[in-house]
Amino acid sequence: MSAPLLFVLLPLVVAVGLYFARARRWLVVVLAGIVCFSLSALALLAPIDTLVQIGPISFEIPSTLLILGRRLVLEDGHRPFLALIYTTAGFWFLGSMVARANRLFVPMGLAMVALLVAVSAVEPFLYAALLVEMAVLVSVPFLAPPGKPFGQGVLRYLIFQSLAMPFILLAGWSLASIEANPSNQALYGQAEVFLGLGFAFWLAVFPFYTWIPLLTEQSHPYTAGFVVTLLFSVILLFSLNFLDTFAWLRSSTLLFQSLRLVGLIMVVTGGVWAAFQRNQARLMGYAVILELGISLLALSLGIAEGLNLFAQLFLPRIITLATWALALAILQRQPGFRGFSDLRGLLRRAPVVGITWMLAYFSLGALPLLAGFPVRMVVMETLASQSIGAPLWVMAGNMGYLIGGLRALALMASGDDPWRISETRTQIAMLVIGALALILVGLFPGVFVPGMNGLLEPFTRLR
Amino acid sequence: MTLTEVVSYAAFALLLVTSLALLLSQNWRWSIIALAVQYVGVFWLVMLSWPIGLSVVKLVTGWMAGALIGSSQPAEELKDATFSNIQGMVFRLGVSLVGLILVFTTAPKLVDWIPAGQPVLLGALVLLVNGLLQLGMTTRPLRVILGLLTVLSGFEILYAVVEQSVLVAGLSSIITLGLALLGAYLMAAPEMEAEE
Repeated sequence: MSAPLLFVLLPLVVAVGLYFARARRWLVVVLAGIVCFSLSALALLAPIDTLVQIGPISFEIPSTLLILGRRLVLEDGHRPFLALIYTTAGFWFLGSMVARANRLFVPMGLAMVALLVAVSAVEPFLYAALLVEMAVLVSVPFLAPPGKPFGQGVLRYLIFQSLAMPFILLAGWSLASIEANPSNQALYGQAEVFLGLGFAFWLAVFPFYTWIPLLTEQSHPYTAGFVVTLLFSVILLFSLNFLDTFAWLRSSTLLFQSLRLVGLIMVVTGGVWAAFQRNQARLMGYAVILELGISLLALSLGIAEGLNLFAQLFLPRIITLATWALALAILQRQPGFRGFSDLRGLLRRAPVVGITWMLAYFSLGALPLLAGFPVRMVVMETLASQSIGAPLWVMAGNMGYLIGGLRALALMASGDDPWRISETRTQIAMLVIGALALILVGLFPGVFVPGMNGLLEPFTRLR
Repeated sequence: MTLTEVVSYAAFALLLVTSLALLLSQNWRWSIIALAVQYVGVFWLVMLSWPIGLSVVKLVTGWMAGALIGSSQPAEELKDATFSNIQGMVFRLGVSLVGLILVFTTAPKLVDWIPAGQPVLLGALVLLVNGLLQLGMTTRPLRVILGLLTVLSGFEILYAVVEQSVLVAGLSSIITLGLALLGAYLMAAPEMEAEE
């Protein structure tokens, strides 16, 4: 059985089965969890394209699957990515019971994960644009579940992600033309335009990011968090394929300057909007925008200095957004909670959810001792060594973001409600796991974070 | 002018009329019919670059997409709150005419980027422009889906010139059907039984 069959087609088939069994919520969640953690363990333990001998049994997992004249290839270097994505999905699915996500979430979420894995497997890699679009289509039903009105956020998400696909495919064609005719300078500009527009739509770059806060506000925060975390993680990693394949892109100063400018705009605008925000779910959207900006800034530091930092940002981001989404989902289900003003006194009424939310919030704000701090500090240091102005802008954006958090914290700490714990035991257990992960990664970054460098293994020319 | 060129320009005219009808229509039946006819034009322009067997996939997929959307009988889903009156129609028509001027001025230059004939470029661009206008002027799910299908049809005409992969044809057909299915779902979802 080949790796693409195991990591793409098998979860897709399981997802179809789970869709029909979705009335049995526990069964679906447990089965999806088992599948995800098994695939994650397999990715960690079993090498691909190497004969494995266990006693009398020997087997080999081939890396390639032929499909309609093209190839799906998952090589040994993809194993860290596979382990990360399936572990993330496994935890997210298990948490869906506590977060009370809709019944479509687990089956369709698993299908989305399988399609996102296919994104990194398809060759030529440019066809991945079509697979990303399919993953987006699969995600819409659980963002707009049956029986509930949906807002503009879902529609804008669908529109912007769909508009990215044509540009990425045309960029691929332009880049292939450059390889055939490298002396034609006009082709370079053409490829840059297509590529720039494609990634601007895909990564919700300014000004195409309006759908993110809308989506986190109007959809269930847990499912919206899942979509933005996994989709952006995969697209960010996928973007490295372009740098890996095309040498002229690696040496383009214009590209890195553009990444820095766009990253700064996202950090500053995300932070400033967060400072004035009066909706707890939209705050998560602005945090995602800010975090995307930081990733683009890390990439703008250049291949030699920025790439490892770019990869190391993945772990704190995933843990933080997962914890945040869970806390927000539980928070919004608190009796009598209708909006931002109901945060008043929350730390007395539901201290575990309040504290966990704030830990996640300030982790993305890079507060010391939390998961987001160590890598962000190195990004800022390296940025400062290349430019004086850029770190100041980042600090301004971060300051706005922290003001938004402090405002929410002040509201939560006010009031004179009596102290009580209104969360259930399961909710407390899940929230504490998330909070502990944030603190542990913040206290011992050297143990957890360097493992993320493995995500760069498939990109042989970038290492 | 050869017969193929004449028919290709006729296909462009067809795409112009159908995409305009999709933009202006407030009746879902006419919209579905316009979408189905639009895919005939798409089929013809794609056929100039692809073998007929592969091009037919576009036509069949487009018709299936129309059938899927039509099956949900979206009577109220098409009517816009802001642009449904006569002034709104005139505004849409005016904006579309500006778009058409843009198409005619851009197409001769676009040939430097994408090596295709004028009718192909004109047909693709008119779909892209009218599809984007549709997306920019609505908040209705059905119109969003029709707009996306129109934009993607325009892109598919362009992309067919430079890429002839069976996998791409297959995946883009899945996306077309997926969008139509999603459109039908989004129109029905608020009224469906909740699955908490």
